[in-house]
Amino acid sequence: MPLNHSLKGKTYQEIELEVDRDRVTQFALAVGEDDPRFLDAEAARAEGFPDQVAFPTFPTVVGILASAQIVVDPELGMDYSRVVHGEQSFEWRRPIVVGDRLRATPRIADVYAKGPNEFLVIEAEVRVTDGEVVCVARSTLLSRGTAGGA
Amino acid sequence: MDRPSIEALEVGQEVFEATKVVKREDVKAYADASGDQNPLHQDDDFARSVGFPGIIAHGMFSMAHLAKAVKDWAGNPAALRSLSVQFRAVVYMDETLVAKGKVAGVDQATGDVTLDVWAEVDRDGQRVTAIKNARAVVNLA
Repeated sequence: MPLNHSLKGKTYQEIELEVDRDRVTQFALAVGEDDPRFLDAEAARAEGFPDQVAFPTFPTVVGILASAQIVVDPELGMDYSRVVHGEQSFEWRRPIVVGDRLRATPRIADVYAKGPNEFLVIEAEVRVTDGEVVCVARSTLLSRGTAGGA
Repeated sequence: MDRPSIEALEVGQEVFEATKVVKREDVKAYADASGDQNPLHQDDDFARSVGFPGIIAHGMFSMAHLAKAVKDWAGNPAALRSLSVQFRAVVYMDETLVAKGKVAGVDQATGDVTLDVWAEVDRDGQRVTAIKNARAVVNLA
């Protein structure tokens, strides 16, 4: 069954994520980092960062929380068993560091069909408490074979 | 880490090649760190039930390896401006993921360097491109 394309532009509940040291360290180790700036506050400060730096793709944590809300939206009609992660982008404005409080209001930036497949683009502009945008994350989920029609 | 000298870069030049063997325990660690607990990345029986020979790595696992390679080359996490990728093939356990980057453009005025980047595995003698049509922008000013 095709996705509901009229949901383009729909926004979802705001996500809040405190960037805590244990999670930042866990993420860095999981991606095989040995760069001390991602593992140690002092090493990061020695190079001018305010605190231990989150690995660049850390905002995926926000993206996963965003997708989790959207893919189960009954209005959207998505069958998650048909979904694969098609594309991903990050635009970084400044490094995220331990102590940042991230907020993002995910939205459906686009829904479109191409051939037999449909594409759902989820955008999350990740801000810190004072409103500064630190990262824009876009995830494109590919829904296999749901376009219907010809 | 030293950052590369922008003056020395030429379009078409290959600037990094970073290899990583994809291990089951690392994929599990990535699932826990990222919060993506899709069983496709942890449960062989589930993966087989949807047509794969066994679990596959998260696309974002491969993207993280690519981001690390770009960051290591740039020398500084603050130099990263953007990375956009397409996931075009799955990656299985114990495959060797190779991230590569090539200079696509240099803006001497702003210090922005655009790279064409990708990630591939060798599967039974065939090169399979897991991440393609990918671009990174780093600022080396």
